[in-house]
Amino acid sequence: MSSAEALALEVRDLVAGYGDYPVVDGVSLKVPQGKVVAVAGPNGAGKSTLLKAILGLVRVLSGTVLLGGEDVTGVALEKLARLGVGYVPQLDDVFDSLKVIENLEMGGYLCDRVERQRRIESVLEVFPVLRSKLHRYAETLSGGERKMTAIARVLMLDPKVLVLDEPTASLSPEMSRVVLEEQVRPLSRMGKSVLLVEQKAVAALEVADWACLMVRGKVEVSAPAAEVLGDPNMREIFLGRSTSQAAAEVAGTE
Amino acid sequence: MHLLVQSIGFGVAAGAVLSLGAVGFTLQFGISNVLNIAYGALMSIGAFLGLFMLGLGLNIWVAMVLGGLAVGACSVLLNRGLITPLVRKGMQPFGLVIVSVSAGIVLEYVIVAVAGPATQSYGNLSGATLNFLGWTLTTAQVVIFGIAVLLMVGLHLLLTRTQLGRAMRATSSNRTLARSCGIATSRISDIAWFMSGTFCGMAGIALAITIESFDFTLGSIFLIPMIAAAVLGGVGQPYGAMIGGLVVGVVSSVSSAYWDPAYQSVVAFGIIIVMLLVRPRGLFGSSSATRKLLA
Repeated sequence: MSSAEALALEVRDLVAGYGDYPVVDGVSLKVPQGKVVAVAGPNGAGKSTLLKAILGLVRVLSGTVLLGGEDVTGVALEKLARLGVGYVPQLDDVFDSLKVIENLEMGGYLCDRVERQRRIESVLEVFPVLRSKLHRYAETLSGGERKMTAIARVLMLDPKVLVLDEPTASLSPEMSRVVLEEQVRPLSRMGKSVLLVEQKAVAALEVADWACLMVRGKVEVSAPAAEVLGDPNMREIFLGRSTSQAAAEVAGTE
Repeated sequence: MHLLVQSIGFGVAAGAVLSLGAVGFTLQFGISNVLNIAYGALMSIGAFLGLFMLGLGLNIWVAMVLGGLAVGACSVLLNRGLITPLVRKGMQPFGLVIVSVSAGIVLEYVIVAVAGPATQSYGNLSGATLNFLGWTLTTAQVVIFGIAVLLMVGLHLLLTRTQLGRAMRATSSNRTLARSCGIATSRISDIAWFMSGTFCGMAGIALAITIESFDFTLGSIFLIPMIAAAVLGGVGQPYGAMIGGLVVGVVSSVSSAYWDPAYQSVVAFGIIIVMLLVRPRGLFGSSSATRKLLA
């Protein structure tokens, strides 16, 4: 990653966890403007806890989170939204008891009515499929439609940085690729900076510019995504083997 | 047949009061996820505030509005002063229920300390008798029913037509996601506790108008049928509580007409048990609401 690139989000030596137990142990990463950074790793690596710490949902024990150079460590989620950080959680990613249109309106909660309406039109141009589903309750949507609604909702915020926690969780492999290729990849083309946590590592790295591979709360590899995908050794250790095998491999090299 | 028709009429009138209380109860639960058993004591406070304002010479309907707003303020204080600090300290739902039971008992004995333990009465405020659809109702019952309908329509418009109402529903549906949209959920929670308390206080005064006498246990006794109404409609579902209140009111009234009125509470408990067995989510509850309740 070039040091000249403007950073949308930067994490420095972050230690975070539940109680006094650090699940995330000294993680540093950078998300340049307009780029997709994928954080991959086995179950229990601390990926989701890392995101929650960045978003102020988990206690930060030490370290710093910088948004556009400004320290936002431990800042509340609703304030981060006002500062331009959009968040799509892993599972409960839409308002089930609200209609799709109401989900979009909540995404644009911080705008006035005219701007909100303009953004709804703009988001529907990106996701035209949603136009026919605007008056359906979100709990009646399929997995792919839910994810589309979730990403459309977060785009209503017009965020500078999007934080996506396993957007393909509970989706079939085919639908996972559709979500990553057709919903996540275009985000960087829209100028958004994306921090993507994903367990389906290969699929995630295929749409990412940069890869951070986490094992046991630490970033073990930080490199261009294409480089990781093209390196047979790294691919085998981190992307092609089971959770326990990868963890054991890293533990053996420490 | 006449007895049945008449008891349905009384049931609708009683159900309007129940609906008012049940909607407030379920609205607050849906947003804060706290089962507030002190709600009954707040209702008693409403009834006694009504008595105090009647003593000052205020019109009963003005007293009902002012008393409701005052109880709304008490409800916010209860949340801000007791519930929210404990939630921040990580207290689990069961602990919060015990705290709210304790707070309710304390509040009831504050009423006893201020107003005494004796039974009280608003006097006869029933007004003229009206005949309608074969029902014989008092003017007060009809006005209370009208107020309840107006409040329900107002709540419906708030929840569906305004950005504040949608934000309340969003917060109820998924608090973390609502925060990620920039919604100040603690402010939404304050508004919900205020509205809940206002409905509760107005229901307390409405109830005191329609019965001959009451004491500091008024709200606690009425809490069970209100919870029955909320469970019947689907906990956290304001529309369900509206319908649930009317159903519990009518069923209790009809059962009293044909059975010993002392068994009214048995009917309310029976409705809770049957509904939980047959349809745990209630008439209007979604599966997600049930998951939230059970979580």
